[in-house]
Amino acid sequence: MYKWLNERLDLDRFSKKFLRKAFPVHPTYFFGEIALFSFIILVITGIYLLFGYEASSKLVQIGSKHLPAAYASILAINNQPIGMIIRYVHHFAAHLFLASIMIHLLRVYFSGSFKKPREINWWIGLLLLGSAIFASFSGYLLPYDAFSVTATNIGYYLASQIPWIGHSLANFVFNGAFPSPGVLPRFFAYHVVIMPIVISLLLGAHLIVMIKQKHTQPKENKEHYKGSILGIPLWPQQTTIMIFLFLMTFGLLFIIASFYPVHPSQYFGPPTNSTPMVKPDWYFLWIYGLLKIIPNTFVIHLTKSAVIDPESIGGIIIPSIIMLFIFLVPILSKSDQKTYYMETPKSYPVRFAFGIAFIAFFLTLSVVAYQENIGLSIALSRILVLLIPIASWIASYFLAKAKK
Amino acid sequence: MDEIKQTANQENQVCQACIARRKILKAGMGIASVSLVGAMISTFGTIKPQSSKANERKPITAGDKLVYAMGPKKGQIITLDSIKLDKGALAFPLGKEEHLNLIMIIHEVQSEFKSPTHLSWVINGIVAYSAICTHMGCTVDWHPKSQTPAPYPHIFCPCHQSMYNIFEGAKVVSGPAPRPLPQLPIKLSQNNEIIADGDFDGPVGPMV
Repeated sequence: MYKWLNERLDLDRFSKKFLRKAFPVHPTYFFGEIALFSFIILVITGIYLLFGYEASSKLVQIGSKHLPAAYASILAINNQPIGMIIRYVHHFAAHLFLASIMIHLLRVYFSGSFKKPREINWWIGLLLLGSAIFASFSGYLLPYDAFSVTATNIGYYLASQIPWIGHSLANFVFNGAFPSPGVLPRFFAYHVVIMPIVISLLLGAHLIVMIKQKHTQPKENKEHYKGSILGIPLWPQQTTIMIFLFLMTFGLLFIIASFYPVHPSQYFGPPTNSTPMVKPDWYFLWIYGLLKIIPNTFVIHLTKSAVIDPESIGGIIIPSIIMLFIFLVPILSKSDQKTYYMETPKSYPVRFAFGIAFIAFFLTLSVVAYQENIGLSIALSRILVLLIPIASWIASYFLAKAKK
Repeated sequence: MDEIKQTANQENQVCQACIARRKILKAGMGIASVSLVGAMISTFGTIKPQSSKANERKPITAGDKLVYAMGPKKGQIITLDSIKLDKGALAFPLGKEEHLNLIMIIHEVQSEFKSPTHLSWVINGIVAYSAICTHMGCTVDWHPKSQTPAPYPHIFCPCHQSMYNIFEGAKVVSGPAPRPLPQLPIKLSQNNEIIADGDFDGPVGPMV
């Protein structure tokens, strides 16, 4: 079989060039792969859901009730033998996708692997993060239950807070003032066609650039193997590890989905006039916390039509500034030589401190998002949000300097 | 042809016309790609959204009957004795049941209401406010004498915990809402039904 194909496709040459490629080994190298595998699992489970989903918010009659067609199709999927668990796996895989991208970003950040020549992949990676977030947001609306509609409603109002262009932009993206009858087919198009294509193309570019530039190596390789790559070959060792990791991820997602139902649309019910007590998913909790602590008297009038209010500050401006800094990381922390090796996190104290401070900021804001449930006052939340990141910065800076 | 022969003969001299040609071609490709991107964006930009006015709603007029918006009595006209003391209900104007027309009707003690509530619009302790939070457009909840988050009856938005004091014109006492809830003028009809006496006294929901 191999000989037959080899005579036609010159597999020997392919095998020599690619199948023997050395993959450096390090425990932190798995996060990018887990992100890739979660994306694959999302596509597979997504296709299963596609077989049963109806993307329309028009009312259909089920028994005595009138339900949006999309919501009714979700109930029908739940009635399929493995429909419910595939739905839960799809949702957990989405969470895993975003979490692994973020942890992968942190690994690349703390090891300085974004430096020359890998700035391109850092920026492609950020585009991937943004696309994943938008894919997640658009997918969240699709069950069209009470929680989904509320969450998307808030997203609509946040988007329209962008000064000057917010209203037109939000109406374009959401196909009219939310909830417009055309928003669901539009979000279906974003989530099922446009974002998967964008993510696949960006992923392809990300991987090709990585293959071309060669993956970074642990610092220890430098001493003994300078100029070459110390690693395991793609076939059969790395392939086996990757298959194992994929099956583990797949299996663990199913186990978690079996024990913890997530987004049970059948309990949330179809959208009603009253608004349920919703909190956003974990990756948006920090913005939610930020919006809570900004005082509502903070209003600056730019022009007659544009105004900067707490929503635009917390929802648009501060996240944009943070994203800008993350974008500028390869320029702020640069090297003139090409780097091939990972740096130890503490070898660059300022970079280390900013990374820890950002994580502290993100986590503190996420906890503040639940302040009314845990009895934390708004005033104390404001103090903590300022104090904890600054304290973390100082502590980690001196920790890293002491190590040097 | 002559120019090419010239380049072959003099190695150090570069064909001047070739350089100029290259510059023009590069500029041309640049303009073409920018125009291509612009064309694609403007093509997709021609897609018009289905509706552009976020705050469009049919205005409530005097004489509009108010009906229950949800629950077992959905669609039934609200009468003076159907809302007990300390109770609240979500209502729609009959025939204009749009999200932005959602009304919160509350029954409390008449003497507790004070300015800036329109006291002439409070009938036997029954007051009507817009049920759309002015922050991000969520539907607000009614919290009768509960101890949290406030020890007096108040309107509470589940989304970002804005609180409105119904006795003082639904002004914002806590949370990120920027404006108080507009009040709806109401009166009694002959059959003791609660009917609207005009539109809300301010813009409904968040300003977009």
